[in-house]
Amino acid sequence: MPLILHNLSPLHWSLAGAGIAVITLLLVFISNHRLGISTGFEDICSLVLPQPYFRRAGIRSGRGWRLPFLAGLVLGGFLSAALGGGWALTWELGRFDAVIGFGHVGKLAWMFAGGLFIGFGTRLAGGCTSGHGIFGLSNLEWPSLVATASFMAGGMVTTQLIYRVLFAGM
Amino acid sequence: MLGFYILAGTAFGFLLSRSGAADYNYIQAMFLFESFQLYGIIGTAVVIGAAGLWLVKRGGKTAFGRPVAIELKPMHRGNVVGGLLFGVGWSVAGMCPGPILVNIGEGKVYALAALAGALVGAGAFGVFYDRLQNLLGLPPLTLGPGEG
Repeated sequence: MPLILHNLSPLHWSLAGAGIAVITLLLVFISNHRLGISTGFEDICSLVLPQPYFRRAGIRSGRGWRLPFLAGLVLGGFLSAALGGGWALTWELGRFDAVIGFGHVGKLAWMFAGGLFIGFGTRLAGGCTSGHGIFGLSNLEWPSLVATASFMAGGMVTTQLIYRVLFAGM
Repeated sequence: MLGFYILAGTAFGFLLSRSGAADYNYIQAMFLFESFQLYGIIGTAVVIGAAGLWLVKRGGKTAFGRPVAIELKPMHRGNVVGGLLFGVGWSVAGMCPGPILVNIGEGKVYALAALAGALVGAGAFGVFYDRLQNLLGLPPLTLGPGEG
């Protein structure tokens, strides 16, 4: 299956997995940080929200590396598009376009709703695919196994509902 | 170090972009059991990561000679409830937190709406932390739900 991005062929899973492991290990070995992205959302919130939750040491001490790391993620996506066929704004969404087919406004509403679940859920869970799924599991942490099993289950049920029930006949 | 963080993020973002981890179709195919790709990526990353972390912790020192200090995440009911909610969002948007930013970089316009939602969601969590703390037995504020 080609990627939505310029119909590129994806890297082999073993290569991508090994590369992700190398970056994870470098973050620990060079700068003593555990990989984790969802706290970065709180770091961004902490720039404008005054509540005590956003003033805790765990957030303030992490901003110095998480915010540049997040900026790097955007840059990585930009370079991937630019080097892989050229950078351009796009609304393409693969299977969603073929099956659900909402227009631009519907797509934005759909994505905003998904984002709410992502932002609230990852912070309540104490991490996301990177912090729990990759780092936490690599470090053999029980809470990460529980959280990973929970978000995989949540995703499986939801996608099955969307594509096999709600929009099955379309 | 600033350059290292940006570089590490860029490499990570590029890998997510080119591997399918930031691709709506691959996320749905994973949850529909139609594709092994993302299971293979996470599995490989965890196996190599576990071996490497064991070695780094056994060595006990970072490249600059500081003691390796890995803060562990606390166990609480939010791991399950939050995990389930995040799973719903991952399925709906077809992105987890890293790929939201990667997709914005790629030029996918709708990813901006996912980021806006994620910031509102994370903001609401922090604003209502004291109330959620009682409801779900979350750790004290100074500890938080776990960073990552």
